[in-house]
Amino acid sequence: MHISLKKEIKQSQSGKAGIIILLVMIAAAVFAPLLSRYDPMQQSTAPLLAPSFTHWLGTNQVGQDIWSQLLYGARTSLMVGFGVGVLSLIPSILFGVSSALIGGIYDKIVMRIADAFIVIPMIMVAILVAAYIRPDLFVLVLLLAALSWQGGARMIRAQALSLKEMGHISAARTFGAGLFYIARKHIVPDLGPILLVEFIYGVKRAVFIEAGLAFLGIGDPMLVSWGTMMRDAMKFSYLNVWVWWLVPAGVALSTTIIGLTFISHAAESVLDPRLRGEVVA
Amino acid sequence: MLEIRGLRVSYGNDTVLNGLDLDLADGEALAIIGESGAGKTTLGMSIMRLADAGIQGSIRFNGEDIFTLSDEQMREIRWNRISMLFQNVNNVLNPVHRVLDQVAEPIVEHKLRSKGGALDRAGELLTRFGLPTERFSAYPHQLSGGEQQRVLLAMALANDPDLLIMDEPLSSLDVTTRQELGELLRNIDGHRAKLVITHDLDTASRLSEKLAVLYGGRIVETGSTREVLINPRHPYTRALIRAYPNMTTVKDMQGIKGRMTRPVSGCPFHPRCTQAMEKCSSEVPRLNQNHGRWVACHRGGIVTLLSVVNLSKQFNLLKAVDSVSLHIEAGETLALVGQSGSGKTTLAKILMGLYTPSKGGIYLEGKKVEKREKDFYRRVQMIFQNPGESLSHRLSILELVMEPLEVQGIGTKEERREKAIQTIGEVELPQTKTFLNTYPHHLSGGELQRVAIARALVLDPDLLIADEPTAFLDAGIGAKILKLMLNLQECRGLSMLYITHDVAAARKMSDRIAVMLDGLIIEEGPSSEIVASPRQSYTKRLLASASSLHYLDKTSVK
Repeated sequence: MHISLKKEIKQSQSGKAGIIILLVMIAAAVFAPLLSRYDPMQQSTAPLLAPSFTHWLGTNQVGQDIWSQLLYGARTSLMVGFGVGVLSLIPSILFGVSSALIGGIYDKIVMRIADAFIVIPMIMVAILVAAYIRPDLFVLVLLLAALSWQGGARMIRAQALSLKEMGHISAARTFGAGLFYIARKHIVPDLGPILLVEFIYGVKRAVFIEAGLAFLGIGDPMLVSWGTMMRDAMKFSYLNVWVWWLVPAGVALSTTIIGLTFISHAAESVLDPRLRGEVVA
Repeated sequence: MLEIRGLRVSYGNDTVLNGLDLDLADGEALAIIGESGAGKTTLGMSIMRLADAGIQGSIRFNGEDIFTLSDEQMREIRWNRISMLFQNVNNVLNPVHRVLDQVAEPIVEHKLRSKGGALDRAGELLTRFGLPTERFSAYPHQLSGGEQQRVLLAMALANDPDLLIMDEPLSSLDVTTRQELGELLRNIDGHRAKLVITHDLDTASRLSEKLAVLYGGRIVETGSTREVLINPRHPYTRALIRAYPNMTTVKDMQGIKGRMTRPVSGCPFHPRCTQAMEKCSSEVPRLNQNHGRWVACHRGGIVTLLSVVNLSKQFNLLKAVDSVSLHIEAGETLALVGQSGSGKTTLAKILMGLYTPSKGGIYLEGKKVEKREKDFYRRVQMIFQNPGESLSHRLSILELVMEPLEVQGIGTKEERREKAIQTIGEVELPQTKTFLNTYPHHLSGGELQRVAIARALVLDPDLLIADEPTAFLDAGIGAKILKLMLNLQECRGLSMLYITHDVAAARKMSDRIAVMLDGLIIEEGPSSEIVASPRQSYTKRLLASASSLHYLDKTSVK
């Protein structure tokens, strides 16, 4: 079976939509200083202004430009998302693949640790830890990564176990190849699609949790975040500000997550042929 | 009665016999076999002292060295005591004399009888060897080849010699005449010693009790004819048997690698031998006794490459492999035959180190294999049942074949590339750039299996384990793959463990067959014996259900 992941995602409509959404978000985050005239933290003019030509989405309770906050919020969101995605994938691969290949007691120990992590309710721990140490962006990424590798590790282990029994891997072993060679040359490349799916999951979860923590007010107060925006907007719900304050932040967050979901769904269809619409010859 | 020591015969610079030792006792029938150019006829002529060549060493006949005799004395011995049945090429008989006179001639010549007595004796002999009386006065050209041979035989025995040398006595005859004359030759009086010189294994097996295999002017193996032919110990003898079409062995014919060259330093066979060591090219091996057989080989004859002793593998409650003992010799094919689930593949995977055995040991050239190091895989390689699965879909053909070299860290990148391309050519695949850069999913099943074979061979292993290599191929392509494997065996001296459920294929491919059932080896032996006279009822069933083109005939007979 030879399936190109790239082709598969491109061929799926929702996959394409997902990629476009993500690209827009990334563009917003990267070009934020160009797209807005204001520093998001700068208390410019009057607070609680309605949208106008100077402030496209008005200002918040301390007079910060909401449009600019929305753009910079994308930065935070995606940085946390991709940071956690990458950082949690590394231990997932490391533990998953080594568990599958080495097996025996090592496998048992690693998997029991993973089980222990799965039982821990991630949000609760994140809230508790965040409330105590008030993490900055970097620590937040580390914290979320440390709490979210276990699911991926289990998935990767399961997949690696079945790959391990495949002919070409047995064949490589009969050339005298060591475990490291097999992991590097065969297992990890063969894991391709599952790694992508795991990565996107990780990103999605982290984006969501970051927003959640900020909404609860336990993120870094100096950080511009969609969660913080929504939380602040809620306080002024009696003023009808939600239209230009709460909704844009909510929509930005939801769209990002939907975009990621589209991509992961398209990637999943590679793993599970039953999800494919039609057979492509 | 005949004792040859250190016989060297050379024509000019061409040494034909090179230090030959041979003993022949009264009443013994010894066959000398070897391919043409091995020096067989020269040996016969030397004993008769008819060879016109430089001769060293001694030939003692009843204690007397014939080279010290005067010509007169030699004439006395020749034909009276030692006679020779010449290879029947048309010019041996004198075309202008009647055959009866020709048979009587040596009797008269040696003044043993009167002319009349000699003719009587000649007639008697001719009758005994089946020439009808009315043909006695025929001229040689009026006789058929078979009849001429009878006349020659009568001539050779006319003076009742003690030693009869027969040079290719049956070679030019058709099969039925050969059968009849063979019987006659075998039954000529018991006390006479017989030396049969032939390239034909059938003649040797008919006419001799002892066999000596001549190669490059030396004897490389000697023993009882039956034993040598059933179980050859010298690589050359085995190759000779494999190249010989016959009704006993069932394996496809295989030629002998290379061709005979002279002169050769060291062992005469080493340039063609597939198990030659460095020593073989410098030192001449002496004829040594080894397990009741005399073999001239530095390695003690064909070596046992891999042996398995009491190997078991338990999967929870299932005994997949149960105390299996096997051995594979260098350059031979052992077929492991059995139905699916009999433990064949498990055994192969244990050999390759993909499973650890519950009990028992594996020995590579007598050394126990403990932890499989890279060296082991350089010597033992495997091709898997499903080529499509055993080749990674992410690698190009060239990358696939180069992979074992990479894993083993052999050579530079360029050298690996060259070696891989060369091996791809060896399995008869195109070496074009386009082909080398394609991916496995673009190839057919047969091509895939060739790639898998190339990949296994790129390390130049000694043993190839082939697990149902044709299971996924149709018959035409499968046959080509099997042929390719046989050719590779011929050229490289590859040993093979051929795993199959198909006895019909096994019998064409293998020297020996081991039948496996429920993890046990229930029967093992030369393929010909297993196929012709199976002892176990399961083997009989296996053979009865094997592919046949006359299925209805077979069932209706029962």
